[in-house]
Amino acid sequence: MTSPRRTPDWLLERIALGELPPEELAAARTRLEQEPDGPSRLAALKADSAATLERLSPEQVTREVEARLRRASVEKKAPARSPWFTSALGLVPVLAALALFVVVQPDSGTLEDPVTGPVAGLGTETTRSKGLSPKLEVHRQQGRGDEVLADGALAAAGDVVQLAYVAAGRTHGVILSVDGRGSVTLHTPEQGAEAAALAPSGTHRLAGAYELDDAPGFERFFFITAEQPFAVDTILEAARKLAASPEAPTAPLSLPEGLTQVSFTLQK
Amino acid sequence: MSIDVEAYYRRYGPQVLRRCRFLLRDEEKAVDAMHDVFVQLLRYQGALKDAAPSSLLHRIATTVCLNRLRGAKRRPEDREDELVLQIASTDDTESRASARGMLDRLFGRVPASSRDIAVLHLVDGMTLEETAREVGLSVSGVRKRLRALTSVLQELELEAA
Repeated sequence: MTSPRRTPDWLLERIALGELPPEELAAARTRLEQEPDGPSRLAALKADSAATLERLSPEQVTREVEARLRRASVEKKAPARSPWFTSALGLVPVLAALALFVVVQPDSGTLEDPVTGPVAGLGTETTRSKGLSPKLEVHRQQGRGDEVLADGALAAAGDVVQLAYVAAGRTHGVILSVDGRGSVTLHTPEQGAEAAALAPSGTHRLAGAYELDDAPGFERFFFITAEQPFAVDTILEAARKLAASPEAPTAPLSLPEGLTQVSFTLQK
Repeated sequence: MSIDVEAYYRRYGPQVLRRCRFLLRDEEKAVDAMHDVFVQLLRYQGALKDAAPSSLLHRIATTVCLNRLRGAKRRPEDREDELVLQIASTDDTESRASARGMLDRLFGRVPASSRDIAVLHLVDGMTLEETAREVGLSVSGVRKRLRALTSVLQELELEAA
């Protein structure tokens, strides 16, 4: 379905249907027209579409789809559950999670390492930007709105979370997470060797949502900031060391001077 | 049903059939799967508010076909087919969480399994950014899923060797 410098099939379909943002569509069409077999591929696609509709009529397909849906509905009703009960059952995990959240929500912990005392950059810098400190926010996406999570909240595989930061005057930052399987995931910057430029004030969401996987125990997000650019590799190396240690759920990253870190943990 | 199935089929049916045909490599099975794709579209029609129909149908078709390919015993036709079969055979416990499936339907969200993400990126050739946009996740989340699945695929290749 793909080859170097050739419009992939999935994109060819979007071009044929016109279902791309206008600028993307125009650019994609231009590239396709420049490919030796571009116009012929598009023509073949359209011919195949016409042949399909001729061979499998819309009326025939619609009847079959509706019949399958009815059969599926009948099969689903076999246990004699009411629609209300079926829908309510789906909410049980959410309600259970909320109950646990109420019961087990821990107190906000200090970032100070209990054994060695403050780590470089933690708890020793003057607060900036009208008394604010850098902060990481995590919102769990729900059907009709976001749930603002507290540090230590319970979460599960499949939960979709949206990360946001408050830079509190810092100009550059890195956001990554460490999980119970020992994986390190870099959330921002998405590419490049240097820390991302931050909006120094206000709350800013990262692009895209992040879906938790089935790594056990926890997913711990770190927000590392500074007032000048710094290398991402240094942070990733520190994160990998932490991820491989038994103190990963609680210990801070071991970072060079001049960097500030905050963390936010979701328990699983 | 709020969706006009016939109208959607007229516009998108051939695209869906081509997708199923590519993944299943069997015309009869592809036609059968195509019908199921439109059944699933009716179930997940809430997701249409956030995704273009062609994008959503591409994903649903991928999921439907991968589920049918699990445990398939056939010789791959080419490199792409081999990769699809390998991806389909990986264990993906997320897609079997029935309660989550119900929640996804309640909230109009189509689940994004790791196998689906792998096909979009490794077979279809979507960039990480395109894949992330396609499934509505962050690039970091997609990258993590791919990393986990890639290690599984490598293990499968070692076993096959």
